[in-house]
Amino acid sequence: MAITILSPAPAHEPARSQYNESDEDMDIDDLPSGHGNTTTNIITPGQIVTSDPQWMRGHGTFADTDSLAIRSTLAGTLQKTNKLLSIVPLRARYTPEIGDLVIGRIVEVQSRRWKVDVAAPLLANLLLSSINLPGGVLRKRTSVDELNIRAFFGEGELLVAEVQSLFQDGSASLHTRSLKYGKLRNGYFMSVAGMGGGAGVVRAKRQIFTVQTRSGGEVDVLLGVNGFIWIAKHVAEKEDVGINRLEEKVGESMYSSQNDEIEPYTRQEIAAVAGSIRILVAGGVKVEEGTVRKAYEAGLELDERERDGEMLDGDRGATVLEMVLAGG
Amino acid sequence: MPLDSSIYALSALRLDGRRWNELRRIQGSISTQASADGSAYFEMGNTKIICTVNGPQEKRGGRDQSNEAKVEVEIGIAGFSGVDRKRHTRNDKRVQEMQLTIAAAFQHTLFTHLYPHSTITLTLHVLSQDGALLAACLNAATLALIDAGIPMSDYIAACTTGSTASYADKEDEADPLLDLNGLEEQELPFLTVGCSGGEDKVSVLVMETKVQMARLEGMVSVGLDGCRQVRGILDGIVRAHGKKVLESKVG
Repeated sequence: MAITILSPAPAHEPARSQYNESDEDMDIDDLPSGHGNTTTNIITPGQIVTSDPQWMRGHGTFADTDSLAIRSTLAGTLQKTNKLLSIVPLRARYTPEIGDLVIGRIVEVQSRRWKVDVAAPLLANLLLSSINLPGGVLRKRTSVDELNIRAFFGEGELLVAEVQSLFQDGSASLHTRSLKYGKLRNGYFMSVAGMGGGAGVVRAKRQIFTVQTRSGGEVDVLLGVNGFIWIAKHVAEKEDVGINRLEEKVGESMYSSQNDEIEPYTRQEIAAVAGSIRILVAGGVKVEEGTVRKAYEAGLELDERERDGEMLDGDRGATVLEMVLAGG
Repeated sequence: MPLDSSIYALSALRLDGRRWNELRRIQGSISTQASADGSAYFEMGNTKIICTVNGPQEKRGGRDQSNEAKVEVEIGIAGFSGVDRKRHTRNDKRVQEMQLTIAAAFQHTLFTHLYPHSTITLTLHVLSQDGALLAACLNAATLALIDAGIPMSDYIAACTTGSTASYADKEDEADPLLDLNGLEEQELPFLTVGCSGGEDKVSVLVMETKVQMARLEGMVSVGLDGCRQVRGILDGIVRAHGKKVLESKVG
């Protein structure tokens, strides 16, 4: 066989900045005001956003001490809210906001509170007084509860909670005073990019939902706004739980750390849902109830179609993504 | 063979064929490690660096009471990165000095006051070294911090400048050189200059060798020009990455 020698390909030019300072004040006037509307061109740190004094500077911007020009501090896109200019970063760490549903991991147990890792710059606080007591009793927390604090949550345990308030320094205070919240067990944890960035979990109407899987029964999916996701076997709840029957519902099992027996089929389906979410993240699609359901169903459909011929991983992901996007 | 003629020949080309004011090939990519908050891979000639950023996050075990984030830098130099294979110990004084220099530079450029009681950890892995190690580390760290979405007043772009060897009687023949490679760095006096963006605010200036006082000004001005070029390239890398992210974002 003849050996051919290919001539070397020329090295491609390094990407140089296309931006020059003269085309500032790009399209601020044309940009529609409001959340979700951003420019399509990228703004990078140090770039002058505008030198017009009519604008106010918001998140992601700063003003020089010696001039009125507003400069960016982040790489991202411009967002206008009336006269306020802010930069939405391409990717950033989660910043808590009141009302967010988050999934967190206990990192520290203190005398009257837990410190919870919610992927934010600072650890969140969960006070002993903002959890439900087992048995549903409503009473003041006593020193006995303080001594038994590890009976509720210990280090390394996962929980789902809501951001109740924010402290001065931006750290969150959580609460679990609802039957939806509390300790997590019987499931699978995964972490994807949270708010900000190309993909990840977005704030949506429903963050907790149940997927009816093909062979493993019902599977609960909890999408934490901070990018932490919990996928667990669905536990059937008793019907008509009123406030008066709270006691029955909030049994001793509430703070149990013991997993139930989970059948192989359910485990398989949990893994399938997790795989669907990974495809969404890799493809830059936002993770929410609709897209997760569609991706899971697309996966099932592919299984039907491809019974004999296995698809390679990348192809399968691409096909699932296509089906998700086509469906909505 | 005298080194001065071999490094700077009559044709005014250097060992690797560059002229005095040319940079080596610079390449970089952003978001290379999915598990980190921010990451970047950066090449400056044959010097190759991976940088990952973790944080801002609260330090485990006792929170820091200061009102701004602390920048911590850790540099790992791979045993196979240099010409001769050797182990770099953790408490190597030169590595420690680089860590301190990088931490101090970013402490002033990042808007650390937005993240009280927290720590930003920069981890730099040197995969291959061929001159301009500190400069490449600074550039890689800038890219990774931008990826992490940590606010900063401007890029820190860095490069090295040297001066051709020349004897005192031919002082005016000494020329400044931009962006020395590993061989040149061993023979010639050089300094690393890091600028905070296009305004020529010098945030890092390190020199470990001796040079005649009169040559310094020329070297610094060539270095500042080099930093401007590097900044342009870094900006290009960030914009190319941003465009890719926006294009892939759907729904």
